Amino acid sequence: MSLSRSLTDVTRIPGVRGALVVSRDDGLVVADALMEGVDGQAVAALAASLAGRMRGVTTVLGQPEPVLLMLGGTEGLLLLAPGPSGLLLVAVAGPEVNVAELRLGILAAAGTAY
Amino acid sequence: MRAIERWVEPPLQTFLAESAARVTLLMTSSGQVVAQHGFTRSLDVMSAAALGAGILASTAELARIMGARPLDAVVHQGSAVGMYLAGFDTPRGRWLGLVVFGQETSLGLVQMFFARLVSDLARAAPAEEPPRQVLAEDFEDELNSSLRTLFGR
Amino acid sequence: MPLVNFTTREITCKLVYYGAGRCGKTTNLLYIHGRVPEQRRGNMVSLATQSDRTLFFDFLPLELGTISGFTTRFQLYTVPGQVYYNATRRLVLQGADGVVFVVDSQARRFDDNMESFQNLQENLLDQGVDIRTLPLVLQYNKQDLPPDLIFAPPELDDALNFRGVPSLPADALHGTGVFETLKALSALVLQRLAVRAPGS
Repeated sequence: MSLSRSLTDVTRIPGVRGALVVSRDDGLVVADALMEGVDGQAVAALAASLAGRMRGVTTVLGQPEPVLLMLGGTEGLLLLAPGPSGLLLVAVAGPEVNVAELRLGILAAAGTAY
Repeated sequence: MRAIERWVEPPLQTFLAESAARVTLLMTSSGQVVAQHGFTRSLDVMSAAALGAGILASTAELARIMGARPLDAVVHQGSAVGMYLAGFDTPRGRWLGLVVFGQETSLGLVQMFFARLVSDLARAAPAEEPPRQVLAEDFEDELNSSLRTLFGR
Repeated sequence: MPLVNFTTREITCKLVYYGAGRCGKTTNLLYIHGRVPEQRRGNMVSLATQSDRTLFFDFLPLELGTISGFTTRFQLYTVPGQVYYNATRRLVLQGADGVVFVVDSQARRFDDNMESFQNLQENLLDQGVDIRTLPLVLQYNKQDLPPDLIFAPPELDDALNFRGVPSLPADALHGTGVFETLKALSALVLQRLAVRAPGS
């Protein structure tokens, strides 16, 4: 599976405004498919930072690394799924998205992307 | 944190808090220090500013020679720390930024918040005052005395 | 213009030592570095080749102390003198508040001195700086060599000093004239910030 295929699989889900593959350590965009108005650079940097902090929390708790992080706001959702090779798959969605479908979709993409 | 002018401090303070940078240096394009955080000696700041300005100036010149668009930023990544050097325009002319960061933050965050710092500085800059005479008419006596002291004469 | 911080009362000036290859620019800075107390200077930064030729620049920050209530700092730079490095010379020259043009007084280096001086004028002009308005001091270095090998200061003045700027003889290796050169240029640079008496 290629990076672009993974992004396409996620962005195909109705309500998704953008998807990115992000370098976990640097917080830099590796690949993206974004609608206008989504600030990819900011999403990448902040998502990587969030994932890093959650990794820290689970380490302290003696738990394995999370396979999915979901941040819900009044205007939409942010989902992060760690992948191999130090990469992170990130999806930005509006409130109308089918959350269950998006969860399955991003997990599948992160698992099969690389 | 020390700054040449007070208006630089709030945007720089915000940048430091949000980016978690360890060391930050703002300078003119000729390497003179405008503001800094994280250095201990004023003379070390000047050396860092001179070197940072040299790196960016030579990178920009390389880009020009190669017919490429100007390269506004340079990143050096070490095993424990990274360095981000970038040029940007301000109402006071071309400035340069040098940011040293560790593993507690990331290049993506530094870049993102640095872009915000640039916008904040552009908004905060007051109108430039005309140059003022600042030294007394007889400054040369003090200058000569200082130089004699420096040279042990 | 020197950088002035009215809040912290600091002045910072950039002074550049310019001249042909091996004329004594780095030697000036090395002498200053050796004489000035450690707490009044930074470490000397020297970006040089393996054969100790300046590759990019030498840099030495000095803290002069207080002048008219302003903490005054100088940033001393040298440029690489070899003809090959003109691109880097232009970069180092940017933002200079004053220039010491170091002349190799040896007769056989006369053409190199002239070429370097011409080069200085061209590089300044490229940056929109008129050499006639920039604080400039000429240092006639290597005056310690046998008289039959060198030009005396009056001869060098005739050839180079069309502006009548301060010119000083020197032997930078042993420190002669180094302090005087820095003093002369410092005064010219800081003059721009000085209050003028009425009618002057």
